[in-house]
Amino acid sequence: MNVLIPFSWLKDYVKTNAGVRDAASALSEHSFSVEKIIDDDVLEIEVTPNRGDGLSVLGVARELMAVLPAKGFSAEWVKKQIPVTKYSGKDKPKVTISDNSLVPRFSAVVIDRVKVKESPAEIKERLSKVGLRAINNVVDVTNYCMVELGQPMHAFDYDKIGGHEMNVRESKKGEEITTLDGVRRTLPEGVIVIEDGDGRLIDLCGIMGGLNSELDGKTTKVLLFVQVYDPVRIRRSSMSLGHRTDAALRFEKGVDFENVVSSLQTAAGMLAKLSGGEISSELIDITGTVYTEKHIKIDYDKINKIAGIEIKKDFVNATLSSLGFVIKGTDVYVPSWRYDDINIVEDLAEEVVRIYGYQNLPNELPGGTLPHRAKNNNFALEDKAKDFLKYLGFFECYNYSAVSSELSGHGALKIKNPLNADLAYLRTSLTPKLLEILHKNRGYSETVKIFELAPVFLSKKGDLPNPPFMLGLAVRGLDFLVFKGIIEALFEELGVVGEVSFEIVEQPGGALSCEINFDELANITGEARVYSPLTGFNSIKEDITVVVGDSVTFTDIVDVVTNTDTRVDKVSFKDIYGDALTLSIEFLDRSKQITSEETKSIREWIIKNLDSKYGIKLKSQ
Amino acid sequence: MKLDIEATKSEAKKLLDSAGDSGSLAEWHSKYLGKKGVLRTLTADVSDLTVEEKKELGRNVNELKSFLEEAYRESLNSVTSIKKDKPLENFYKSLPGKKPEIGHLHLITQAIREISDVFSGLGFVRVRYPEIEWDYYAFEALNMPKTHPARDEWETFFVDVPEDPKLGKVVITPHTSNGQIREMLKGELPIRMLNISRCGRRQSDINHVPTFYQFEGLVVDKNISITHLKGVLEYLIYNFFGKDTKFRLRPYDFRFTEPSFEVDVTCGICGGKGCRFCKEGWVELGGAGMVHPDVLKAGGVDPEVYSGFAFGWGVERVLMMRTNLKIDDIRYLLENNLKFLEQF
Repeated sequence: MNVLIPFSWLKDYVKTNAGVRDAASALSEHSFSVEKIIDDDVLEIEVTPNRGDGLSVLGVARELMAVLPAKGFSAEWVKKQIPVTKYSGKDKPKVTISDNSLVPRFSAVVIDRVKVKESPAEIKERLSKVGLRAINNVVDVTNYCMVELGQPMHAFDYDKIGGHEMNVRESKKGEEITTLDGVRRTLPEGVIVIEDGDGRLIDLCGIMGGLNSELDGKTTKVLLFVQVYDPVRIRRSSMSLGHRTDAALRFEKGVDFENVVSSLQTAAGMLAKLSGGEISSELIDITGTVYTEKHIKIDYDKINKIAGIEIKKDFVNATLSSLGFVIKGTDVYVPSWRYDDINIVEDLAEEVVRIYGYQNLPNELPGGTLPHRAKNNNFALEDKAKDFLKYLGFFECYNYSAVSSELSGHGALKIKNPLNADLAYLRTSLTPKLLEILHKNRGYSETVKIFELAPVFLSKKGDLPNPPFMLGLAVRGLDFLVFKGIIEALFEELGVVGEVSFEIVEQPGGALSCEINFDELANITGEARVYSPLTGFNSIKEDITVVVGDSVTFTDIVDVVTNTDTRVDKVSFKDIYGDALTLSIEFLDRSKQITSEETKSIREWIIKNLDSKYGIKLKSQ
Repeated sequence: MKLDIEATKSEAKKLLDSAGDSGSLAEWHSKYLGKKGVLRTLTADVSDLTVEEKKELGRNVNELKSFLEEAYRESLNSVTSIKKDKPLENFYKSLPGKKPEIGHLHLITQAIREISDVFSGLGFVRVRYPEIEWDYYAFEALNMPKTHPARDEWETFFVDVPEDPKLGKVVITPHTSNGQIREMLKGELPIRMLNISRCGRRQSDINHVPTFYQFEGLVVDKNISITHLKGVLEYLIYNFFGKDTKFRLRPYDFRFTEPSFEVDVTCGICGGKGCRFCKEGWVELGGAGMVHPDVLKAGGVDPEVYSGFAFGWGVERVLMMRTNLKIDDIRYLLENNLKFLEQF
């Protein structure tokens, strides 16, 4: 969450010889990232979710006290506490809290004889610098104090609170409230609300006040209140209502439990001054829990081990003190504003080392032994396949894991909260998307070859889906046998041992596709290549052309040819024209030079065997 | 009739080589291969030869014939293309070569390879962990309880299957940090892991794609400190971005590391001077930190004995930063327009 903090406002708290840019870079390096400096004064600061305390002038000023000296600048705390205002028992609002865990701390005062009017220029200017619109002196004080002290607060028109009674409770499902922005909201169960004596909801706690108790020109009595809410509850409510206000974002990050009363006092004092009013009630401060200080055992060795160098004890102690920690013996007491954030010695180490400066640590490579891991992955093989296909003219594609219902395949898992209908199911096959790509790129070129190597997701009952890596190939403008040849050549390149069955699918529009389980393929690749000794004898190559029928396969024929004689060294497909298949046969005798007489006799046997087994005859010339 | 094949060959070749234009080539052709050419005359009268001699002659003539035809074709090609028009000789050589058709590896593949190469030099072992993951590994074990606001940062996709009583919902992992737990649970120490995997987040705009890649480094050993993280980062940044790129660590907050950092590098566009593409000369590379003791515990590693660091960054992001490729919409990476893919 980004927050705007003027440097000029920070100087109310910290006197320094640093300029705005010095302060910004000190904060960025040691504390919060300053994203931008606006008009040479306003810092736009990114505050991480653990540092709700940093969302205020006070919080950033506290950081400056530690980071400015680290950069060699002076820093002196100059803010003076507002004296506590006097209370009276004239007004007695009745507060009941149904469950203290909802509101660990509830504080309020009533201010009478308020004149609602415009705020002074200085306040309006500061509000405008931090992006807030000035409304009237009462509302402006609540906003001003929120920015300065980090405590969201709210002001009610006291006389619009029925019976001057406030009952803090959880909402029932279906209850309604119209908030200050004029929106009528129907509540789910369990939202923190305040009901007045007339049974009306007057506040959507921690998110936004109710319209029915809003201040107006006639308001003379104001109830000002500052709370600590259960952050989880606020977050859940504000999210489920889709209403993320500045107050809610702060409450859900946690506010300083110990700063509630002093914030209320500061705001009440300021309001009384600006509106001419006076406090007309006692200080109401209801705490559901007792705040206990948190402390951590300091471990200097551990801090050094994390840093990787020795940081002197004195530096550690001084740094922690400058950040508001209190060191008593070996215990470090956590300041209340860091209560939720600091829990273990590692947290203290972060505080110390960030102020020491990460840039002041040396860069070292880790020593020690190297990990020994059995290789159980296919990365090298995947790379080999990708390179091979690339050099054969294929484009590699990457697709989303999710596709539309039409492209997802049978039994695809559904995504509960998809971005859109095109990304609603986890794909079970790569092919549909590849075909879509071929179609989308139909104007690109006559021949297109694409592939993708990625997981698909096959559902498995009671477990994560099985994610096999698939190799999907799709081509257009390519002959069936050429495509098949590419796949076979790929297998050879990958060292696939044995037979792999794969299916080339003829798709509409002349496209061809094939999808192969790459994990299974990888399991049958090996280095186990067989060496056949070279012979000094020459082989003889001959072609024969036979007439084939559709009831046999090429493999059937090759088997017959190969098994006819051990001197048949190689049989390969040369050509097919109509039903005339030309085979190229290589004859080799490893013990002596084979002669044309011998090959002639083997050839005759081949033809005889082909005829007797399949009725295949030599093509007549 | 005796035929001296070798002599005929060499004489014909000599003549052919000196034939510099198409006219003299035609002359040569009729002399050797024409109707009354040398070849024909050789076989014109064979009546007085024995069967064996005829066979011998036939073989020789065939060999000579193919030699002559081949030589002629070659000369014809070179004469018609270059020699015929001598003035264009230079121009011809200036024409582009006829390239074989080569395809394209996707940019993401190229980036993954570059990243893996750098880390293999430091003994990191590359792994890949599930994209579809249990909530436990993606969040819970990483010190992110269900109600924690830190989860807001991850726009998570949920898969519509029943929850597991222990491991929770099934999600598309929004980061590669799930690999930290899975790697540690293998029970082998020390660890130098490089997990490059697919992730998913519910975001789609010019800077985000719902399916993307991250790489996650994890080192766990005795006495691992911030200085080691800095050393590895220095090595990575030097090798990946070049010697002129500097880096810095800034304090940050992640639930699964303590301390946590944001890593910035000097802007590749302005060289660190500051411009509209960067923040005062720096650009964010990604998050890093010392592994939180709770995360070590969830991985079955004793935080009293071991410590570690981790970082996880977007593959596409570091690629864009390194190359200064200003791809105006990152979603082009997954649109598979061949006109886009062919550029890389």
